[in-house]
Amino acid sequence: MEFLGFLITQCLNALSQAALLFFLGVGLTLIFGIMRIVNFAHGTFFMLGAYVGYSAVATIGNFWAALIIAPLLVGGFGAAFELAILRHLYRRDHSAFLMVTFGLTLIMGEAIRLIWGVNALEVAAPQSLSGIVFILDEPFPIYRLFLAGAGIVVAIAIWQFLDRTRLGLLIRATSQNAEMVHALGTDVRLVRSAVFGIGCGLAGVGGVLAAPLVTASLAMAPNAVIDTFVIVIIGGMGSFAGSLIGALLVAFVQVFGTYYFPDLALALMYLVMLTVLVVRPGGLLGKEA
Amino acid sequence: MALLELDGLTRRFGGIIAVDRVTMRVEAGEVRAVIGPNGAGKSTLFNLITGVVPTSDGSVRFDDETLTGLSPYSICQRGVSRTFQITALFPEMTARENARLAAQARHARRWQPCGGGAVFGDTERRGDAALERLGLTHVASRPAGLLSHGDQRLLEVAMALAQQPRLLLLDEPTQGLSVEETAQAVETLAGLVSDGAMTVLLVEHDMEVVFRLARMITVLHRGAVIADGTPDEVKADAEVQLAYLGGLA
Amino acid sequence: MSFLRGVAAVACLLALAPAGLPPYAMTLLTEALILGLFAMSLDLMVGYTRLLSFGHAAAYGLGAYTSGNLLLHTTIPLVFAVPIAAVVSGIVAIGVAWVCTLASGVSFSMLTLAFAQLLYAVAFKWTSVTGASDGLAGIPRSPGPFGITFFTGKLGFYYLVLACLLGALLFCRALVRSPFGAVLRGIRENEAKTLTLGYNTRHYKIAVVAIAFALGGLAGALYAPFAGFANTELLFWLFSGQVLIMVIVGGAGTLVGPIIGAAFFMLVSNLLSSWTDSWALFFGLIFILFVLFAPQGIWGLAMRAFSGAPSAAGRGRWRSLNWTG
Repeated sequence: MEFLGFLITQCLNALSQAALLFFLGVGLTLIFGIMRIVNFAHGTFFMLGAYVGYSAVATIGNFWAALIIAPLLVGGFGAAFELAILRHLYRRDHSAFLMVTFGLTLIMGEAIRLIWGVNALEVAAPQSLSGIVFILDEPFPIYRLFLAGAGIVVAIAIWQFLDRTRLGLLIRATSQNAEMVHALGTDVRLVRSAVFGIGCGLAGVGGVLAAPLVTASLAMAPNAVIDTFVIVIIGGMGSFAGSLIGALLVAFVQVFGTYYFPDLALALMYLVMLTVLVVRPGGLLGKEA
Repeated sequence: MALLELDGLTRRFGGIIAVDRVTMRVEAGEVRAVIGPNGAGKSTLFNLITGVVPTSDGSVRFDDETLTGLSPYSICQRGVSRTFQITALFPEMTARENARLAAQARHARRWQPCGGGAVFGDTERRGDAALERLGLTHVASRPAGLLSHGDQRLLEVAMALAQQPRLLLLDEPTQGLSVEETAQAVETLAGLVSDGAMTVLLVEHDMEVVFRLARMITVLHRGAVIADGTPDEVKADAEVQLAYLGGLA
Repeated sequence: MSFLRGVAAVACLLALAPAGLPPYAMTLLTEALILGLFAMSLDLMVGYTRLLSFGHAAAYGLGAYTSGNLLLHTTIPLVFAVPIAAVVSGIVAIGVAWVCTLASGVSFSMLTLAFAQLLYAVAFKWTSVTGASDGLAGIPRSPGPFGITFFTGKLGFYYLVLACLLGALLFCRALVRSPFGAVLRGIRENEAKTLTLGYNTRHYKIAVVAIAFALGGLAGALYAPFAGFANTELLFWLFSGQVLIMVIVGGAGTLVGPIIGAAFFMLVSNLLSSWTDSWALFFGLIFILFVLFAPQGIWGLAMRAFSGAPSAAGRGRWRSLNWTG
């Protein structure tokens, strides 16, 4: 019985971890799928979300409001960056995007350090979500349950959005044939800015949600970048379902791996990535490597 | 024994049979055209021979050696060179450098990490000779990306030629060319193949080009061979007429 | 002015530098030369083969820790420890490259980053070899052989570094102008076509990564006795990013450009850091500006200024990576 309780809580742990990773991965895969841009700064947008969330909570005093406002600000900044800078690079070699977003990472990282300082910042989870619940006699933080749930809800929401709404249709069409969409009268440039903004906004949501767990700190970005890319490589660049699977796979490997092989956890994850790349170079469900 | 022997060569993509038990014998020095309606499996056939796509069944034998299962670059090293439907070149290099790099691939010391004067001497000779046979000497110093479409198609053939292949596969060499460019290209190619020194497999849609260049024709329809023989035999074949004129039965 | 004459002229200038520069400047110059070597090694991958690596710090760290350990725990002379460390880096790189070249494009880049991060994590754990986050300290410049102590002094060490850089530059130049280099160029411009022509492109990629690592490892191996210490900062991903910036800002695909980029980086970071605490931010800005407006880098700009606007065919020897679409 004890083992079952342990198993269930660890699975829930992994699900909550997967939710965070999913927010990161789906944003990156969306941006890549639609615009063929590899957003190296994605982990930094995640970090920005955490910090802006911290400030939002500090000023407004309400976590839920921060959860809405911070991603909007982060996403807005992302869209603005695409508008101002990225859109000049579409004619160029795609490695230019990688370079520019890397430069953005450095700039944002430094700006965050200047504005918020070097120390890690604590963000309190809302009252309603703090505390623990007992599952089969094993204690489990309510906040993590909330995360797992939020992940599922958002995954379904995004799926429906892409499938059923007009903008979602436009986005899917643009990823397949941007010129056609343009010829049909839609300003593809707006779609692109919107997508970049949405992708960064999703990373921002992940950041806000992660803050109460891991505290906002400057070390978030490099870890997030790598995690995100591992997920997307496993699931395949540009595949929504792939980012879901990738997030779940990585989360489970991380959670159970850290428990059984604490020293090898990092290596385990890369091993999974390598195996996938050998067996299926385009990722499990990817469109292109 | 023929230079190239295809035996029951088959390729399936899921439920679709792209190439259906194709058996073919190409003698050394022959110029054979592979024709057929769109979707007949011609390009897939080339991809199977050159190892780009794995076979589902059957075999490819070249000069008594089995090619099936080898990697594309190994197959190329054995003397099989090809061109593609969609032109692929090194756009920033000059035409001469393109041909030189192609020739270098078949040089024994192509990987040499220093010096290389001797290697470059050999490869430039072969590359320049190939350019000349294709009538491209006057644009040898121009970057490949800046050549006319017709010249680019010819450069691709020159690059394949610079490799001194024993078997040359040409995939729709006149694709996308204007009427004039086509006429010019055909004359050049005719001059190339007239001495029978090279074995050529040619995929072409333009029937005039086919009849001008090929001595033997194989007709594919839905992945399978439906006729095989001299141009006159093929023209008279009832099944061929059905496939081309009788609609998609 | 031909390349070789230009290099000879600059080499003479640098050889005479100790006579004219104060000790503080000499230290900076030595470090700039080491970084220049590091950046140039990356150019082989990035500029000549279009293999974007975000983990080149791994080469530097490998070289530094290897030479550091050799110098600390054995009596192997400095002038042997350094090349040994470089060779070790190159050999390790063969395995790394074998794995990374399983993928291409972005996946390749991410694998290089992942490997560097893995090495970074390992360095923290393997404390006996690396001293963890404290690192190795007190790395000596061991004299020898035959009791020669010339290279252990500041002046001699400077000349050792200069010799390594010049030697590596000449080696790389020969490499990129050789048949091997021609294949690299083919891979850079159209890898699929190169494969079709009959080249086993994977082997060439593995080879160039190994060479790049060996030279990057050489730089790291020089750094350890230069600074006297080696720590995990040398493996940190930001460092990988900085060297990539040096290559791009200096001028990718030119060998000399990245060396200039390294010098530029050192100059700017030293100047800016006395002004403001956030020089990294300005560097990011400079980098983005270069990518947007001057993708051929400093060297490309200089070439254009001296020889007029280059035509596509007239780029001569100083071919730069075609970022401009």
